[in-house]
Amino acid sequence: MTDSHVPRRTLLRYGAYGAGAAALAATAASWERLTGADIPGRDDGSLVVATLGSAFDPATVEALTQGFHRLHPDIPLRVNAVQAVDWSDFFAKILTQIAAGTAPDLVYVATEGVQLFAQRLGVPLDRWVRRDAAELREYFADVHPSLVESMMYEGNLYQLPMEFNAADIYLNKQVLKRAGAGFPAADWSRDDFTALLREMKRAGDAHFTPYFWTNRLWGGVMPWLFANGTNLLKESKAPGGSWLWDTFYPAADRQGRGGGFRWTTPQATADRVEEAYDYLASLVQENLCSRPEGGNGSNLVGVFSTGRVGVTPAGGFWAGGLHLAGMRAADYDVQYFPRWRTQRHQFGAAGYALLRTSKKQEAAWEFIKYAARKDTMTRLFQSNQTTPARRSMLNAARYAASGPAHWQVFYDTLDRFPDTGPIPAPPQVAEVTDVLLKYTGTALASPRAVGPALRRMQGDLEQAMEREV
Amino acid sequence: MTNTQVPAVRPRPATPPAVAVRPSVRDRGTRLLAALFLAPTVVGIVVFTIVPIIGSLVLSLFHWNVIDPPRFAGGANYRTTFTDSTVLVSFRNTLLFMVLAVSLQLLIALALALALNGRMPVWLRSVFRSAFFFPLVLSAASISVVMKYLFNQDFGVVNWLIGLVGVAPVPWLTSEHAAMATVILVYVWQQFGFSFLLFVGGLNNIPKEIHEAAALDGATGLRKHLGITLPLLSPTLLVASVVGIINALQVFEQPYVLTDGGPGDATRTVVMVIYERAFEQLDFGEASAVGVLLFVLIMAVTALQFRLSRRFVHYQ
Repeated sequence: MTDSHVPRRTLLRYGAYGAGAAALAATAASWERLTGADIPGRDDGSLVVATLGSAFDPATVEALTQGFHRLHPDIPLRVNAVQAVDWSDFFAKILTQIAAGTAPDLVYVATEGVQLFAQRLGVPLDRWVRRDAAELREYFADVHPSLVESMMYEGNLYQLPMEFNAADIYLNKQVLKRAGAGFPAADWSRDDFTALLREMKRAGDAHFTPYFWTNRLWGGVMPWLFANGTNLLKESKAPGGSWLWDTFYPAADRQGRGGGFRWTTPQATADRVEEAYDYLASLVQENLCSRPEGGNGSNLVGVFSTGRVGVTPAGGFWAGGLHLAGMRAADYDVQYFPRWRTQRHQFGAAGYALLRTSKKQEAAWEFIKYAARKDTMTRLFQSNQTTPARRSMLNAARYAASGPAHWQVFYDTLDRFPDTGPIPAPPQVAEVTDVLLKYTGTALASPRAVGPALRRMQGDLEQAMEREV
Repeated sequence: MTNTQVPAVRPRPATPPAVAVRPSVRDRGTRLLAALFLAPTVVGIVVFTIVPIIGSLVLSLFHWNVIDPPRFAGGANYRTTFTDSTVLVSFRNTLLFMVLAVSLQLLIALALALALNGRMPVWLRSVFRSAFFFPLVLSAASISVVMKYLFNQDFGVVNWLIGLVGVAPVPWLTSEHAAMATVILVYVWQQFGFSFLLFVGGLNNIPKEIHEAAALDGATGLRKHLGITLPLLSPTLLVASVVGIINALQVFEQPYVLTDGGPGDATRTVVMVIYERAFEQLDFGEASAVGVLLFVLIMAVTALQFRLSRRFVHYQ
């Protein structure tokens, strides 16, 4: 056999290949390159705060970081602005980070996720709030107790509310003028609302939609359920919380407060729920409003500002959006949601939640306190992209440029209607939201579809609420 | 007994004794080189395809919400899946979508490929090819966002255009019947460019002599296409339909952005359900079970296609 006899030339060639490969490997190994440790916020010892990316602009985040650094130079801070379409998308991304072992220390969480985070991931702030009560007294005096209560779960406080938005009604004044209609009174009724839509429709062209609404938990069918004195899930309050109410709020404000909301039994087939759906179905049938799935917040500013929509539910966040879209303060205004059986409003709030997995809990609490300071919040919420949780921040100067004229409505929704409450958001909120959106679309296909759709909604909600999150 | 008896069994011809041939150094070097070139792909497939498939299979037997440690569930996730009306509807929707979208996609692509295969200036052919392929390079999510505006019942350009000729606004995305049709329309518009390019390539590979011979025998237009073009294009058709079906069964972006699965469940697809179960409801076990069922469905449909292809696909 001669196969094993390697010719000298072959040996040299393969030797050269081997040397080349070894040189390449050595070069690659020594090359300075990015690794997992280079990902911002990973293992660099910083306090990591995850926020909904689109909520704060980079300059605001920079101001937040620098301000905190001046106060606490020993606590390195990194703000992780997570880009997401909505709160549900944001939570999904945060949970993915947690699953990947890169959990932030603090997460900006809205009402939709308060109970889910509290039940599974959050740390109650009670001991720190008690410890620093003197320091926080000014904060609580400036923040409505309903907002604070919405951040409690089973007697414990999980977040300090930073912002909120109640579902009020925005009216296009150009459309009102065209229809020859006056600005509605604060206590306008559902029938007044319907009559206004009809007047607007008569005065508008074929492409005009009097009432534009969206299919979602906040600002969709829910405000109508609240106004009709009902809710999707039976609402009650957890015991406890007196440690907070007794410390920070006067007796009048403590009345009826508890340890946070409980949303338990589904009641989609209740008469009042069906009545609200029937009403909305009749508006759709009469072409007085868009079908809910047709609309979303992103195209709404454009159609509202150009006079193709008359009224829509929105919160203080819309003042900034309309201003950016070129609307002047005199072009639009805001009024409370119309009264039906009640004039109870709904709201959603947000604040920083401290995660159990955080190893820097003391530092995280310092950040929460810093974020809740009035000067910090003033820097954060400059462009009316939301309603600040501090009452004192809502003043004429803030709304002078952007409007609306009745800017007091934003905070007065809480002050004038003390029963105004948060959107129903139990720990199973994701599934509840999916079921609500799905069957709202089905129910409004025709007036006769309401009953069967709500019966199926009830079944699915019962299943969702039984599920362990 | 005589020795003249014919043996009943014919002796088998002697096979040469097996000799272990040792590959030469040159062969071994070539193999090593081939392995080196293949390694990145193989590693990629193993890490990003095989391991996740096995992971999903394992995960489908557990309850896992990301936050707490997984708990063994046995077949509970599969039982839930088979009794969940949303999951069942999503499978029905996906199959319907697959049949309609792939048929339409192949028909349009084939018709346009045949049309462009005729006499036409080269520059014009290039323009059409680019125009048909262009949507495919765009992100499905971006396209869907734009289409959502175009098809908006109240403010969309499409309804405005049909309104010019007196047609009433159509609820493109909000009617149970129209929504699926609109999603299919958007999907097909984006996807048919791929099949179109395959067909253009396939048509170019058909020898001209065969068409010339058929013409001499008196075959014309449709007869030539049915008797020659389609049979010779059948391998390309098989590839286009296999890829088209696999893609259609995994449709997600278009229904997610355009309709969010609604109205009701009218456009909810299987991959949407997987996403919702996993990332919205934090039920990774059930999401994995649905994923495994989709995997089985894709394998079954693809196997069926290859089985049927034996009858219908002709290789030259």
